[in-house]
Amino acid sequence: MIRSCHDLGLRAVAVYSDIDRDALHVRAADAAYPIGPAAPRESYLNAAGLIEVAKRSGCDAVHPGYGFLSENADFAQAVGEAGLVFVGPPASVQRALGEKTAARQLAREAGVPVAEGTERLRDVSAAKDAARRIGYPVLLKPAAGGGGKGMRSVTREEDLAAAWRASTGEAMTAFGQPAVYLEREIANPRHVEMQILADGHGRVVWLGERDCSIQRRHQKLVEETPGPAVDDPLRARLGDAAVRIARAAGYLNAGTVEFLVDPSGAFWFLEVNTRLQVEHPITEAVTGLDLVGLQLRIASGEPLPLAQQDVVRRGAAIECRITAEDPTNGFLPAGGEIALVREPAGPGIRVDSALFVGMTVPTEYDPLLAKVIAYGRDRPEAIVRMRRALAEMRVAGIPTSLPFHRSVMSDQTFASGRYDTGFVSRWKPRLVAELSDGAAVAGALGAVLFARSQTIRMTSPPFDSAWARAGREDALR
Amino acid sequence: MRYVVTLGDRRLEVDLGSDGRFTLDDRAVAADVREVVRARQWSITIEGASHEVTVVTHDPLRLDVDGIDLQTSVVDERALRAGGTTGRVSGGRTELRAPMPGLLKALHVKEGDLVEADAPVATLEAMKMENELRAPGAGRVARIAASAGTKVEGGALLLVIASD
Repeated sequence: MIRSCHDLGLRAVAVYSDIDRDALHVRAADAAYPIGPAAPRESYLNAAGLIEVAKRSGCDAVHPGYGFLSENADFAQAVGEAGLVFVGPPASVQRALGEKTAARQLAREAGVPVAEGTERLRDVSAAKDAARRIGYPVLLKPAAGGGGKGMRSVTREEDLAAAWRASTGEAMTAFGQPAVYLEREIANPRHVEMQILADGHGRVVWLGERDCSIQRRHQKLVEETPGPAVDDPLRARLGDAAVRIARAAGYLNAGTVEFLVDPSGAFWFLEVNTRLQVEHPITEAVTGLDLVGLQLRIASGEPLPLAQQDVVRRGAAIECRITAEDPTNGFLPAGGEIALVREPAGPGIRVDSALFVGMTVPTEYDPLLAKVIAYGRDRPEAIVRMRRALAEMRVAGIPTSLPFHRSVMSDQTFASGRYDTGFVSRWKPRLVAELSDGAAVAGALGAVLFARSQTIRMTSPPFDSAWARAGREDALR
Repeated sequence: MRYVVTLGDRRLEVDLGSDGRFTLDDRAVAADVREVVRARQWSITIEGASHEVTVVTHDPLRLDVDGIDLQTSVVDERALRAGGTTGRVSGGRTELRAPMPGLLKALHVKEGDLVEADAPVATLEAMKMENELRAPGAGRVARIAASAGTKVEGGALLLVIASD
């Protein structure tokens, strides 16, 4: 966001919670203001505090990013009432689409198919009745939610009560209200979403789909465009459905219409994300557009500089979300200090990252650390470049999702493109790595040197340097 | 000093002489070793082949070798003589520890309850997610060591299960 502002000659003001004082966004921005303690409720979710900072620092507009208040209609409204421009859809649109059961109704009326489901549920026994009627498996979803937070898949009635507890609890934490609803879970679906842009002059365009099927607990880990299961006719149908929903809602600015697509090519409307998506860079890569820049232009009242026939998609792009989660241990999140970072570069690689050496990864926020985006003339080239980039990347100090992402890029199912949202649950940490003899020797030496460094540090430091010198001199002979 | 190193599924014996020379499985290794980040990263060339070893995490020890992640262990000869490393399980008692710092939202069991292995026993909230912690083994809950609604550190003992 800050980079796009700078490209347009705009100054960017950042906000930070107490534990984010060192964060990269603070240093990249032209100005930065504290917004409160680490707990999101007291900082990044503090609408009044954010608006106060925006006014005090002389901002014209507020970009809500993705997450936190980005889909909060009350916030959008408060920003407008404070005389600031909200970079995103207005509160009325957010209300119409943000409440998931209302959005489903709107899609139905626009002639777009939706999966069988319920209104907001009163309690767990109402959920039980509805699940029996619809038939397991079902999904519990926060009515105010989005992005998969608080969503729970339930396959048996015995598990419903625990899922209800978790879903309503997470809905409360993430969205400030516990309401949930239930819908039929589509078997082996692909999660395909359509990027749209709508200006204030009646123009709505779609920029193409992203396949986000590589998910864990409904959190996306890998996204790509074009979707391997989407051909030109399906793309046009999805684009048309997305534009119909956008027009019915009176949409403004960037948005994403999410669909589930089954192996036969049938699709169901899922929800509209009334904000920029984390994975927007892959659409930027294949369209050559700056989505944040276009958001800012739309927000300032400019017409979209392109019509549907001007949208040209070239090549393929993949994004890997590198997170502070340990894929070899059930993807448990891990906080801690980053001891070492090397980010990849080279042809077709873009890295949007929050990482720096010495960074303390907080456990208070989403575990996303960096996004690696690979572009290629076609999907195989994008995969080869991503594989190379991930092999180049180093992050030390905490476990990250890198081992998972590396294995995905060498996975036959992924390479074939015939994967679905069950991919991660079927994925097993590969403990037996294909290690060349030379790498094994190097690894063994590294392990010994590490063990030595630990004992030497505790006992006799002078020996360390002498020993290291001896080792180097010896090796140089 | 002699070390036994396991890298993933491979086991190698490394001898590090007092002169700094390495032998591997009793063969001398002509390695040029540079410590590029102190106690964290080494550039190692062996007969021209360039390798890089990075310590990803200390505990458990995980190495990145040329972009491959490896669960690693190093045991020196003294430890080998002493009988190797000790685990978390002893005398039929299994401990459940917090895998990360967070808010212990709920304990689904109480002392004396019988639990099956992998049964959800606690909910830990961290990074905006609720994580179900599962019983590391079957048995009776012998002790609850933390209370629901409190913050716990990573590695904190939560409960002990006795397998009788």
